Amino acid sequence: MGNMYKKIVFIKDTNAGKADLTRHYASLFAKYAKPFIEDMQLYVVRAADLGIYGKGMVVKIWPQNIYYASVKEEDIPEIIEASVKNEGVVDRLLYRPSDKQMRIVLRNCGVIDPESIDEYIAKDGYGGLERVLSGMSAEDVIEEIKKSGLRGRGGGGFPTWMKWNFARSVSSDEKYIICNADEGDPGAYMDRSVLEGDPHSVIEGMIIAGYAVGASKGFFYIRAEYPLAIERVKQAIDQAYEYGLLGENILGTGFSFDIEIRLGAGAFVCGEETALIASIEGKRGTPRPRPPYPSVKGLWDRPTVINNVETLANVPFILLKGGDWFASIGTENSKGTKVFALTGKVKNSGLIEVPMGTTLREIVFDIGGGVIGDKKIKAVQTGGPSGGVIPEHLLDTPVDYENLQRLGSIMGSGGMIVMSEDDCMVDISKFYLKFCVDESCGKCAPCRIGGYQMLNILNKITNGEGEERDLENISLIARAMQRASLCGLGQTAPNPVVSTMKFFEEEYRQHIFDKKCPSGKCKRLIHYEIVQEKCVRCGMCYINCPVEAITGSKAKGFVIHQDLCIKCGKCYEVCKFGAVILK
Amino acid sequence: MVKLDLERLKGLRAELKDKNKGDYIKVGMSTCGIAAGADKVYELFKEEIEKRGLPISLEKCGCLGMCFAEPLVEVGMAGAPVVIYGRVNTSVAHRIIDEHLCCGRIVSDHVYELRRS
Repeated sequence: MGNMYKKIVFIKDTNAGKADLTRHYASLFAKYAKPFIEDMQLYVVRAADLGIYGKGMVVKIWPQNIYYASVKEEDIPEIIEASVKNEGVVDRLLYRPSDKQMRIVLRNCGVIDPESIDEYIAKDGYGGLERVLSGMSAEDVIEEIKKSGLRGRGGGGFPTWMKWNFARSVSSDEKYIICNADEGDPGAYMDRSVLEGDPHSVIEGMIIAGYAVGASKGFFYIRAEYPLAIERVKQAIDQAYEYGLLGENILGTGFSFDIEIRLGAGAFVCGEETALIASIEGKRGTPRPRPPYPSVKGLWDRPTVINNVETLANVPFILLKGGDWFASIGTENSKGTKVFALTGKVKNSGLIEVPMGTTLREIVFDIGGGVIGDKKIKAVQTGGPSGGVIPEHLLDTPVDYENLQRLGSIMGSGGMIVMSEDDCMVDISKFYLKFCVDESCGKCAPCRIGGYQMLNILNKITNGEGEERDLENISLIARAMQRASLCGLGQTAPNPVVSTMKFFEEEYRQHIFDKKCPSGKCKRLIHYEIVQEKCVRCGMCYINCPVEAITGSKAKGFVIHQDLCIKCGKCYEVCKFGAVILK
Repeated sequence: MVKLDLERLKGLRAELKDKNKGDYIKVGMSTCGIAAGADKVYELFKEEIEKRGLPISLEKCGCLGMCFAEPLVEVGMAGAPVVIYGRVNTSVAHRIIDEHLCCGRIVSDHVYELRRS
């Protein structure tokens, strides 16, 4: 057992777009380092990913943990002499990878066992609560959160301390804390991962919020589609009760707080706070006009604070480390970090957490490793169905609440979808609008009727029946929906359409006037053809066509019958000679 | 279970922090991991560790964030670097047991490094 090697070398070819030469480099290294390997002094490992991209051959040496980048074959003996045989460094090749990620919310995710309260406590868990209950007044807690500059991570970005302060200043026999875990944006799963990976941090945040606003009861509103998250939160609540961290007389300080779980039945609109409250009360989940805001008149007409999972997970750490420390991270008006679910056409999809102010380009290329297939990036979509797209030329914008809003998008809950040149912007906006139309609760007319009509126009455009006045009509409907809808769902539903129209108007025009889809996504606007001069008559297209729309023979050649073709693109994919073309 | 008060919480935390964990394997068991087959990998480790009587503790953890490389397995052993393995199916898991746990040889082509501060 154990490790007998003195040194371990990790090798990875980090150049994108070319054949992976990791295996080749590793064997070169092994060749030059042969005596050490035979002595069992050194072990060479081919890494799959070192978190470094586009830096040629990268070599990491353990235990020094030094990195060399852009290493050529002739450098290898020098590296072996300096860093394998001795403890030296080859300065000219040295590389210091920068850690773009910073983990506050995800600090324990993937580190501790989420089913063990002891592991959480060992990682300073419930230390924030301990500090709060060791003599801080409720005002002190709110002041600390105010100093930190924490803003709501669910989408709106409202300062958390203000919400708490409103609820605190209203006198009432009972107040409530609600954790909004009704995460529904397509492609977003930050909250699920936090609840599954570190449920106690959210519970601790809720208890602290309860203390600050004078509430004695909290509700987790979790969507029923997250069975594992529900199970882990349930278990965590039970453990907290056993330790006396929940219930009567918490930690012997006289403060009492209870938490219950309520399940959402999967309606997107129930993530809107007034609809969520209605749902917990057992009513139909539809929004009501605000004001009065929930912090004044919420659940059962009592003052209620509704915070998102990620917001609450930040709270214990702020109390532990201090508001000033938190405020030192991020940009002027957006403090701390943000978790994003990076998905779409990106190589390393996953959950990332970066300080506010990181640029989209850093996120996509330095953390995400670039675009799949090394295609050109077209845009990044943020904020889900309430957000918009940010085109390639604006990718150097630092991400914070204000910047994204200025560009016509929003921070949202943290979905981030990378789009390549293969994605059609009209099709994308149709997808998001369809989502909102499906999820509209139907209570107010602008959302119910406006969304439906706008979707009809978009369908017309992608079917090749677009007219000039369509663009104008879309803008008209969008304005009406934004101004007159009852809740955030309807007000923001046109955002993806408005934002794609702003940055990709040319693409809309091509659909309408030229009846063409440049990305080849809108099936009614494209067709496939076989160029006879290039065709070698191998018959691959003929064999692979699922609807027998290709006829002919190896002797006579093949043709595609447009009336039968379903435009699946199979023939285009399998043709190795570029004889099938997309028009 | 004894209810904690402020003093006992402090004491418990100090006690838990001092606990030396020794060698361990962690399997990422969130929805993303399980969807990619982490539960099978976990079961396999459990079986093999018992069968061979390896002095190593098997743990579950949440999502590390590298969803593209799920299932993720972290191996920490004294005198060796902590390694995160990605795209671990049952055959890779067998190799981790035979080569890494038993002989200290890290399994190539499945090492992923997470850049975070």
